Amino acid sequence: MVVPARAVPEPADSLKADSVEIIIAPPTSPVVSDFKYDDGNSLILTWVPSIDDLPVGGKVLSYHIFRSDNGGEAKKIAELIPGANYYKDEDLYSDTNYAYHVVALSSNSRAASFQTASIRPQREWVNLNLKYLFFIALIIAASVIYFIETAKRGKKLFVRKIAGLEAVDEAIGRATEMGRTILFIPGIHDMDDVQTLAAITILGRVSRVVADYDTKIRMPVARSLVMTAARETIKASYMSAGRPDAYNDDMVNYVTDEQFGYVAAVDGIMVREKPATIFLLGAFFAESLILAETGNSVGAIQIAGTARPAQLPFFIAACDFTLIGEELFAASAYLSGEPKQLGSLKGQDVGKGIAMLAILLGVLLSTIAAVGDTETITDILNFITRVFTVTN
Amino acid sequence: MEHFALWLAAFLTLGIISFLYKDNAWYKLTEAIFVGLSAGYWFVTLFWDNFYGKFWIGKGEHAYLYVGAFLGLLMLLRLIPKIGWISRWPLSFIVGATSGLWLINYFSSNIMKQVQATIFPLFSSQYGAGFDAGAATVIGNLVIFLGTFTGLVYFFFSKEHKGAFGYTAKVGIWVIMITFGASFGYTVMSRMSLFIGRIDFLLSDWLGMIL
Amino acid sequence: MKRGVPLIITFVVGTVLIFSVFIPPMENLGENFTLFFDIIAVFAFFLGGGNLLRVHLTKLTRRKRDWEYSIVTIVGFFFMLACGLFKIGNPGDISASLTAEGSWFQTIYDNVFVPLGSTMYALLAFFVASASYRAFRAKNREATILLIAAFIILLGRTPLGTFVTGWIPDSFSVLQIPNLAIWIMNSPNLAGQRAIMIGIGLGVVSMSLRLILGIERTYLGGEDK
Repeated sequence: MVVPARAVPEPADSLKADSVEIIIAPPTSPVVSDFKYDDGNSLILTWVPSIDDLPVGGKVLSYHIFRSDNGGEAKKIAELIPGANYYKDEDLYSDTNYAYHVVALSSNSRAASFQTASIRPQREWVNLNLKYLFFIALIIAASVIYFIETAKRGKKLFVRKIAGLEAVDEAIGRATEMGRTILFIPGIHDMDDVQTLAAITILGRVSRVVADYDTKIRMPVARSLVMTAARETIKASYMSAGRPDAYNDDMVNYVTDEQFGYVAAVDGIMVREKPATIFLLGAFFAESLILAETGNSVGAIQIAGTARPAQLPFFIAACDFTLIGEELFAASAYLSGEPKQLGSLKGQDVGKGIAMLAILLGVLLSTIAAVGDTETITDILNFITRVFTVTN
Repeated sequence: MEHFALWLAAFLTLGIISFLYKDNAWYKLTEAIFVGLSAGYWFVTLFWDNFYGKFWIGKGEHAYLYVGAFLGLLMLLRLIPKIGWISRWPLSFIVGATSGLWLINYFSSNIMKQVQATIFPLFSSQYGAGFDAGAATVIGNLVIFLGTFTGLVYFFFSKEHKGAFGYTAKVGIWVIMITFGASFGYTVMSRMSLFIGRIDFLLSDWLGMIL
Repeated sequence: MKRGVPLIITFVVGTVLIFSVFIPPMENLGENFTLFFDIIAVFAFFLGGGNLLRVHLTKLTRRKRDWEYSIVTIVGFFFMLACGLFKIGNPGDISASLTAEGSWFQTIYDNVFVPLGSTMYALLAFFVASASYRAFRAKNREATILLIAAFIILLGRTPLGTFVTGWIPDSFSVLQIPNLAIWIMNSPNLAGQRAIMIGIGLGVVSMSLRLILGIERTYLGGEDK
């Protein structure tokens, strides 16, 4: 028996009159509303899916969204999968009126909803979704500033010892005694990464000691802007040490932006110059261990630090001292020894206190709520959760 | 040509591997090639992607892009020693912007979201019976809660790690060490497979051995 | 002018960007900064690339140790610049895609960069081994904990883990190494990650504030030129 070859089904938009129509119900209740807290450029369209849109054996194959701008002809703007009941339309203009309708499509028929009212996207001036984020940030920022000010007024603030930072002087002293170089590697990211900024601020403290001891410092970098910032930093240190003549631009040199090209060069420097001390501070990726192990093999004392948790274990295994995350950012304040800088560390602790309190309360309340189901407790819990939930 | 490329790749691969033995002329040559070519590569990429692609094409529609170019030009004033200090302006612009942007980003992703994720019930009547389903989950929950808490205690700067506080901080650093151990162990295998990949290239692609 | 203006720029730019997050009409400022940064980076490369050339030319002219390799670096640099800037070998004219198949730029990338980069990356296999060995010899408690956790995770990802602890009855199956590895990843590992991340967040907030407020200003150089 010869079975006639079936034609590939045409897209539903161009239906053939002679095929058997698979009739479907239209999507209903389309509602368009303003997307809250944006610059007046988005709208949200919702609808109730067609009753023939079922997870199993459903006849709806897709939804098409149509939009009419300022009462003009409706144009298709999106195709969505079955089950969809929501669409965010972006990149709109706040001076245009928009109306929508949704069309459900089966393999050979279509059913359109009625058209929504016509609305304009509204611009909001303040994003109230982020109010709690703002308030908590404000409290932490205010406490950092408060402690900075308190310290400025001469109140003594205690800060515990951080081993990796206590070792900085000794590490520089070692290089001085041995007459060898100090190698400072600020990671492989540019100045648009806070970790690099942290590295540069630490460089300020380290190079000040280097200038006092008259030790040699060498800093190959992977980014041109880091080179510029590092030169400014080291130069300032030499000037404040009263030895501007001893400064030389060649202390910092650019190698290449390429991750492993840079690593190949730095490894070469390590084995050829055998630095006595190596600082690995900043944003590191897979190269962390290659650098740290090579540094280790030439017998250098190594102080490392990064905010990338995935690289920290390698530094811990291969370096003498490792600044873990927060310690990297605290380092320059700590090394400066200036009261106002140390004050900022106190402010951080307030932040930690808030985080710990929220976790403690949150866990306690949600456990009680899960076991006992008390309404008041659930309310408090919901509030705490809402405070720490960031929605954009 | 293809043959040459293969031999070149093999030559360079072996040049890098030779560093494991010791620093040598082959490695130095490979390193020099790598540094020279890659620096050029990056400039070309920066030029076409950033200068041409983002500034040159976009400047007609977005006049504000000239601000970026202007700041870039100020950066070049470093080459003129007398007014080189003006290059600190773009530098301070970058430092200010990086600080401002990351302050809120980190605040939201690292503090708010992590605290929120740590608010959960330790027990729930929904947990099934038996050690695995019930007790293990509860212990796991407790570990997450106490681990996060003690880990934060470790990072406290304004209190000496002494007495009860010191013990808590100690537990905190242990938890952090487990974390480091976990990511260490997790990475070892993938690093090994990288090397196997290179050996495979040398033996099968280059030398034509069937493995 | 030399320090005052930069401090003001840092303060104003930093503050505006912080507030821009909360003000929808300013929500694109962050993206614009990224664009500015990308453009500034191109100009800055003249300083970096210039420095690279200067270092190697000095090495070459003064016949310093290993000066021969500097020739290779300089030639390689200009060669790559020429290939990419003039799009040598690209099908089509100068407007063709930089990385089009057959272009010299892409060919060099595929046959020089990829093997070099991936081999350098692959050296990690050896360094991971030597670092593990050192961690193994460390005698303090922290290192031991790190190592035990690493060992369990490592075993958990290999068939050996199942082989060694498969006999443990199912009611205690969490003690089987593959399950234990999952438990470590999901519980203590997660706790540690969170503590570290929260700490980092606070560190960034505090350091950024010090920079924006001008308390931290070492990067701005001294008062003279």
